[in-house]
Amino acid sequence: MAHRILIIDDEEDIREVAALSLETVAGWDVVMASSGAQGLARAIEYQPEAILLDVMMPGMDGPTTFRELRKNPVTALIPVLLLTAKVQASDQRRFADLGVDAVLFKPFDPMTLSTQIAGVLGWN
Amino acid sequence: MEPIAQPDLDAALDRMWAKFLPELEKRVAFLERANAALAAGTLNVDLRAKANAAAHKLAGVLGTFGLTRGTVLAREAEIIYSGEPDTDPANATRLQQIAAGLRTLLASRKGRACPESEVPIRIALSS
Repeated sequence: MAHRILIIDDEEDIREVAALSLETVAGWDVVMASSGAQGLARAIEYQPEAILLDVMMPGMDGPTTFRELRKNPVTALIPVLLLTAKVQASDQRRFADLGVDAVLFKPFDPMTLSTQIAGVLGWN
Repeated sequence: MEPIAQPDLDAALDRMWAKFLPELEKRVAFLERANAALAAGTLNVDLRAKANAAAHKLAGVLGTFGLTRGTVLAREAEIIYSGEPDTDPANATRLQQIAAGLRTLLASRKGRACPESEVPIRIALSS
């Protein structure tokens, strides 16, 4: 089954490698956004089944984007997985407190990223 | 769509590596610039924050391209440049070694993405 997923990340290299991974390894449909604001618009327009959301972005960062997604009834129920290179324990506690569905850490393995996401979301 | 085989994914990643290598080299060059400023005692808050961000981005992506050691080095630089209120000038030599190590890794990268066992993917369910 081709799941629909939205990747929001300001870093083009991460965005494209993640998209390559999810499209070619798992056969999912991927839409990308390069900022929190663009991600909000894409989420409304595209209605993805899940959102992979970067934490550190200029302008609207990941946590702010997540809160905006939750405020909007159109996007409030879409599962959100944070994708971050922040590995310190204090950061992890902060992310867990947000109420996201999961936190995935960079760097990721392109061959198994889709398996990790599917496992979290019960898509297996 | 049929699942992709590892060699096919590796080939696709190699193409992406070639596409993004110039940007990765720019990030290392930025670290080198910040390192030089630190050694000269001219590192300001803005440059330090940008060096921290450049190191953070390198840490996040290099392991994905199989350069696990690059992620370790970049993460060390990120931590040093996150020092409050200032980055200790005594770290200049170490930061220069890190940048040199990153340069070497970028120049030498070949072959497949990181083996699963080396990739620090962790999942923390919030509920």
